[in-house]
Amino acid sequence: MLFSLVKKDFLIVKKYAAIMLIISFAIPPVMVWRTPEASGAMGFTLSVIFSIFMLTQYVSLKEYQYPKATTLLCAAPYPRKMIVLSKYCFCLIIYAVCCVTFGIDTLIFPALGSFDVKMAAMIFLVITILLSVYFPALYKLGYEKTKFAFVIIIMASPVLFAFLFKPENAVKFGFLNVIPAVMITVFSIIIGFVVYFVSALLSIKFFEKRDLT
Amino acid sequence: MDNILEISGLNKKYSDFALKNISFCLPEGCITGFIGINGAGKTTTIRSILGLTNKISGNIKFFGTDMDGNENEIKDRIGIVLDEGCFYDELTLTEMKNVIAPAYKNWCEQDFIDYLERFSLNPKQKISTLSKGTRMKYALALALSHKAELLIMDEPTSGLDPLVRSQLLDILKDYMSKDGKGVFFSTHITSDLDKIADMLIMIHNGQIVFQEEKDQLLDSYRMIKGSTEELDESTRKYFLSIEENSFGFTGVTKQVSEVMARMQDVLAERPTLEDIMLANVEGGKKACYLA
Repeated sequence: MLFSLVKKDFLIVKKYAAIMLIISFAIPPVMVWRTPEASGAMGFTLSVIFSIFMLTQYVSLKEYQYPKATTLLCAAPYPRKMIVLSKYCFCLIIYAVCCVTFGIDTLIFPALGSFDVKMAAMIFLVITILLSVYFPALYKLGYEKTKFAFVIIIMASPVLFAFLFKPENAVKFGFLNVIPAVMITVFSIIIGFVVYFVSALLSIKFFEKRDLT
Repeated sequence: MDNILEISGLNKKYSDFALKNISFCLPEGCITGFIGINGAGKTTTIRSILGLTNKISGNIKFFGTDMDGNENEIKDRIGIVLDEGCFYDELTLTEMKNVIAPAYKNWCEQDFIDYLERFSLNPKQKISTLSKGTRMKYALALALSHKAELLIMDEPTSGLDPLVRSQLLDILKDYMSKDGKGVFFSTHITSDLDKIADMLIMIHNGQIVFQEEKDQLLDSYRMIKGSTEELDESTRKYFLSIEENSFGFTGVTKQVSEVMARMQDVLAERPTLEDIMLANVEGGKKACYLA
């Protein structure tokens, strides 16, 4: 059931999936050219954020345009929680694809540096925190009200991450170098999944209370 | 005859509308028409019994089983046709089917293919290119391809041309020819129900007005036509609605014997379902003076 619902989201975005794949490939090399000092981490972060939020937003737009399609799914024996969980899985799959594309990028463009598990885990934590706020807000407030949050995330992330990855600001994150890489990786993944899980429970609660049109 | 659906004490409240203590049942082997004007509460009732909106109170039983706690098992046995706009337009018929079909344990691919052939639908066609009538046929193909025991349709004939509506009614007759099936069919186009319904339930202002067998219902009402001189305070009270014009009056009554005893020079005719529905609608009692 979950697989079918995730597949449904990919069918909805199929028109843009290829474009987003190209964009996720292209962002890191562009970052090498624009901000060579932090191109690797920043390029990967931006490619993940752009890919996940652009595609998720497109699915939300279509569900907003055809609200009765969701009603039909709920009238079928699809539990509402599965419908919510499919969105969370959809984003995890996009994240996994972005990891692959960035991995390939690092092989083609050595200037991006190496792609290790620690970086993947830390960006995973960042993206799960963003999604964990975004999804419950989407289910509680609806597409119309949360589209501004999406615009803010898309517009602000290049500026914010450019600021965070500046060499002078890297000093503030110097403490991360003291902590063993394994610990950072494990904690990032655990915290990411815990936050994501709690967010999913909240989204399910909001969606189960919603009166469908 | 067993009841395929039993609803008792269903209440649902919105800021500007409420379902008030809805109770009715659907016998097995019957096509039940759910009639009422726009905004009467038909769609809200269907949404509430399917768990698509949260009810305040009420007990809903499908096939003798409580909906609460058994929702997915019950939905597996029900076919749903919602009014228009319930598909993602950019998907093809096959893609949309691939989204819906895995939800049903008894999905029968052969039945689906047969329905597509019967309705001359191309599985590779995009939903956005389908006409309104074809979309309804596609919705029926999806609803009938998992051995559903009860078909629930919300305004399926609304906005369809007479040919497509007639085809739909044929499909329903065909579906009902198998034992142990039931159809619950909401509409405000009562002429469709004149042809196929066995049972009728009317809702108005969020309340059930009646539930009766169609023939019994049609027999219990009469449309009375006569001169306005026949009308006075003592006779008006027997009518649910009266329409007066310069040629006389037309009124719908349920108290046929009383009217015929007190009004000598009138004509009594069998009303249509629409006449009965309109007569029962609040406001229908007001006399309408035509020029």
